Amino acid sequence: MFLYALLSLVLLVGFAAGVLSDGVVALSGAWRLQTHPARLVNDFSQIAGPGAALVNATLVAAIALVLIWRSQISLSGPTIAAFFTVLGFGLFGKTPLNVIPIIVGVAISARVTRHTFGEYILIALFGTALGPLVSAIAVEAGLAGIPAIAAALVGGLAAGFLLPPVAMAMLRLHQGYNLYNIGLTSGFLALFAASALRAAGLTLGPGGEWNASPSPLLVYLIPVLSVLLIASALVLGRGKIFGNLLEITRNSGRLPSDFVSSVSHGGALLNMGIMGIGFWAYVLVIGGDLNGPVLGGILTIVGFASFGKHPRNCWPIVVGVAAATLVFGRSLSDAGPLLALLFGTTLAPLAGEFGWKLGIVAGFIHLVMVLQTGAWHAGITLYNNGFAGGLTAALLVAIIEWRRTNQKKTEGFRSNRT
Amino acid sequence: MNRKDFILHLIGELSHFVLDADPTRMVISLHQESTGFHLAIIDDTVRDDLELEGIRAALNKSQRPELAGYYGSMAGYDLLGEARLDLIGWQIKHADVSATGQGTKIDLWLGSDEFDPTNFTITSEDE
Repeated sequence: MFLYALLSLVLLVGFAAGVLSDGVVALSGAWRLQTHPARLVNDFSQIAGPGAALVNATLVAAIALVLIWRSQISLSGPTIAAFFTVLGFGLFGKTPLNVIPIIVGVAISARVTRHTFGEYILIALFGTALGPLVSAIAVEAGLAGIPAIAAALVGGLAAGFLLPPVAMAMLRLHQGYNLYNIGLTSGFLALFAASALRAAGLTLGPGGEWNASPSPLLVYLIPVLSVLLIASALVLGRGKIFGNLLEITRNSGRLPSDFVSSVSHGGALLNMGIMGIGFWAYVLVIGGDLNGPVLGGILTIVGFASFGKHPRNCWPIVVGVAAATLVFGRSLSDAGPLLALLFGTTLAPLAGEFGWKLGIVAGFIHLVMVLQTGAWHAGITLYNNGFAGGLTAALLVAIIEWRRTNQKKTEGFRSNRT
Repeated sequence: MNRKDFILHLIGELSHFVLDADPTRMVISLHQESTGFHLAIIDDTVRDDLELEGIRAALNKSQRPELAGYYGSMAGYDLLGEARLDLIGWQIKHADVSATGQGTKIDLWLGSDEFDPTNFTITSEDE
């Protein structure tokens, strides 16, 4: 119950801060966001104001929290990660209206295959990455009124229905070394969806809005959250949390690594707080914009700090992305490289399992990939980094597996085993 | 997933775990009934009490449907890193882990509420 209370408090404070900062404008702005195309990268804090973005994000995250509670699934590492991911992407792409068809589609898939919704809840929550597909069909397809709503609904339901089988197949491709597995899954599905929309004559060009001067409300959001998480850790864990944190950093982080149940609530919360403040400080130091998408990236890191990420397995990825950024003559504070650095930590398990050198290589390749993949799916999936990370992980895992398989064969012959 | 595929994945992950210790002998035994099945795996790796307790804990995880239904599908597929018994633990009814004197025996029980595990034990000849 403590975690439910904590996350509810986060939502209440976020919603109240949004409303108090912008007043009625925040509510009307949040309503306006429901009919925005929402494809990558559209910063809701620029489109409708920081208050509206916060109101929208807390409403989407409230849906996630209610679904977890109603499904009687324990609030632990994976569900906390899903909660913060949904909250973060509520600042730049997810809205209550565009996520519901996806969730219902996954629920239908569960029903058809005789599973409970609880068994597929993580796929449903992370799968809301395809929310812009619903928005794009409704708003950009040239339809109006009921046909637009019906087409968007069908598109969302179909995408949600297909998510579970594809998600499980994608897990086997990278073997748990890409934390955002639904990123790879939704990217894969978005390739087909974008092709279908283009074949129907739609022009899904690049676009988007970026808030280059975020308000103090956004700038100080992460420090406040991190202090709350660290204080909660101290209350829960007392003197043991630092030992627990050490234990967490020994974990490779490979999917599924639930730090809450395998180590402790306190240790996981401390890790979340430290990761949040650490990446916030990085953005501040390089002069990046602490706007909707960047906060979304940090909030996703905070969530996954209970489910796979920690300082030891993340730093090599950060170094790899930063090195690639500088090698290719880009600035660390540019939107693309900055988001790649934050979301690129999806590859942290590669560094955790195979060492920091491979982590740096993975980070380097990730930046090269992620700057191209967005155009492939026209921003229909919000987890572009999860998609690029999945491709990078699949490549590296295939090479490592091939190398190890052949090494083992040689060892076997040397020792005369059959 | 049908029963045959499910059993194959369980055997895959369990064999992965046993073979990580490089045994010279591994025996897999399966007894099926309409209401459930018993899968046993025996090796000649002698493990201490702490190791046995670790295996027991991993295989007797509390019910985690959100992990079993999604990440549990990796059991028997992901052969690159270390074997992960918790992928099995989320999906089965119960597991017994014991030292045989010359090695270790792991019994997995899976089935419906009507399934009676007492009807399915490895006989001494099997061992």
